[in-house]
Amino acid sequence: MNWVKFSRGDAVVWLLAATLLVSVYTMFWQADGHGAEAVVLVNGKRWARLDLFQNQDLKVPGPLGHSHIQVRDGQVRFMSSPCPNKLCVHTGWLSQGGEVAICLPNKVSLQILGSDPRFDAINF
Amino acid sequence: MIKTFGHILLIFILAFLAACDHKPAAYHEQLLVFGTVVDVKLWDVEEAQGRLAVARLADDFDYMHNAWHAWHPGPLGRVNQLLPSGESFTLPPSLLPLIQRSSDLSRRSNGLFNPAIGKLTALWGFASDDPPKGPPPSAEAIRAILDQQPGMDDIRLNGLTIHTANPALKLDFGAFAKGYAVDRAIDVLREFGINNAVVNAGGDLRAIGRHGDRPWRVGIRHPREAGILASVEVEGDESIFTSGDYERYFDWQGTRYDHIIDPRSGYPAQGLSSVTVFARRADLADAAATALFVAGPDEKDWLPVARAMGVSGVMLVDDEGKIQLTPGIRERIYFIPSADNERTRLEIRISAAL
Amino acid sequence: MNRIIQTTRDDYLIAGFAALAITIHIAESALPSPLPGIKPGLANVVTLVVLCRYGWQMAAWVSLLRVLVGSILLGTFLSPTFFLSAAGALASVAVLGLLFALSRALPGWAVGPMGYGVAAALAHMSGQFWVAYAVFVPHSGLLTLYPLLMTLAAVLGIVSGLLTRAILARLNSPPPGGNPV
Repeated sequence: MNWVKFSRGDAVVWLLAATLLVSVYTMFWQADGHGAEAVVLVNGKRWARLDLFQNQDLKVPGPLGHSHIQVRDGQVRFMSSPCPNKLCVHTGWLSQGGEVAICLPNKVSLQILGSDPRFDAINF
Repeated sequence: MIKTFGHILLIFILAFLAACDHKPAAYHEQLLVFGTVVDVKLWDVEEAQGRLAVARLADDFDYMHNAWHAWHPGPLGRVNQLLPSGESFTLPPSLLPLIQRSSDLSRRSNGLFNPAIGKLTALWGFASDDPPKGPPPSAEAIRAILDQQPGMDDIRLNGLTIHTANPALKLDFGAFAKGYAVDRAIDVLREFGINNAVVNAGGDLRAIGRHGDRPWRVGIRHPREAGILASVEVEGDESIFTSGDYERYFDWQGTRYDHIIDPRSGYPAQGLSSVTVFARRADLADAAATALFVAGPDEKDWLPVARAMGVSGVMLVDDEGKIQLTPGIRERIYFIPSADNERTRLEIRISAAL
Repeated sequence: MNRIIQTTRDDYLIAGFAALAITIHIAESALPSPLPGIKPGLANVVTLVVLCRYGWQMAAWVSLLRVLVGSILLGTFLSPTFFLSAAGALASVAVLGLLFALSRALPGWAVGPMGYGVAAALAHMSGQFWVAYAVFVPHSGLLTLYPLLMTLAAVLGIVSGLLTRAILARLNSPPPGGNPV
């Protein structure tokens, strides 16, 4: 057979390859190309959605006062909180999909979402 | 022949497109109840149905949290006030199943899981909204409670009438109430016709069914670092509960005192940093995790307890980070490489079978 | 009874081509690479040439020998690098096998070097990638890279297809004693 020719079979393979590439892009590059995002809940209701690669500082109002949330380079944390025990601040930086920090007294919680969180649940 | 091939090609392309288009009905909601974030993930449900079911769960959790709280005023608080009198009184019905189930589990754990030592927990300062700062209580104060040996066997139940002759008995169900509540939540979801779900009450987790075409994926927190130590896949119906010394503790003069009190010594249990238990029911996983944490890192101590309680799998991480696994879990668990355990190789030992 | 292992002509051919592929493989590994596992894949050209001229079985031998012997020579045998390239090689050999069988069954739709090149490169990259993701670095950030890596693989696949075509055109004599496929 003539190996130099671009055959019909080749065309079919290329077509399949192109379909594969397109579907791979739609599957892994949906909506957010950045990857990680976090949500802030106040009293169980969504208060804000944060892009973790957009550095910012937020004041989140709760029943006790403002909880300060800091976003830096793909990580997020409670920087300060009006609650007495500061458990939320001690939780430290969050970066992995599914990680949470909670301030029960001030009813503010923080959780990392992800374009593909590795886990459905974290046992801690 | 060419036609057949064309058909195969067509099927391929359609399969690709179908894979892209398929949007499964998932429902995810977080509730701030039970002193923690309760994470509910449902699969294969209509949004309206999911919303309805989760609203019902939120109500139930709120109710149970109030009814079973060990130090806030409420039904359990009232019971704890009346118990030391030694008189008979009528138990609030919501507490009956909790007392019966925990008595049974306490017996099977040979008293290592003991919700009757609420006085010790309070003495150590763990029955409070604020974490204790130390110092640890005096040996005399601990001895005074320990000498009276409060246990679930001291409770006399006749119908809804309850009394005890042991004045040192105080009920504190701790995390067990949460495990019990998770089991009720799963019952409720099933009543709603939901058969694929994960209810995760701050690490007290029960999963039923699957996440669409794959099992549920559960990450287990590293007891000493930020991040995940291991992951495991769950399907069908299984609970996983991890009890760790990192959850509630205080450090005093270089010693860490954690919230799991050994009913035999009156002091916080030593030697382990976390215990993960696999079982069908969340309340069993919960009670067993406490009992195994108290039993300690020696296989000849914890294995008989695990067997007596009838759990399906155990993972222990001791103070030095060494890991013990039951054989069934070894086959299912996958350890996540992190910068740290890459350098210091994980030391894993497989125990005898359960 | 004494058994003498009879070396056939095919064995010599396999050994020769594998040696060639290994040489290229080692030369490539000396090249600086922006990302681990990203290589021009010139060694695959040998596999493709063998596939087109001598069939799938021999190509599979050449490809797998290259991974095995190459890793032993580079000192990466049984290391993560080895498993990654083995996964890539197995995946591409499997896909080539499928296409080869289909080409035989449907001569009118037979696949040539351009098709084989792209399919092999994509399969190689996928095999490597998913083993890396599942076993070594299950980080979701890696998934974002996958489409880019696949695009790169497709381009490299076209290049290797063109090279294979050029080489085959020069080897225009039929293989001695063998059946051109």
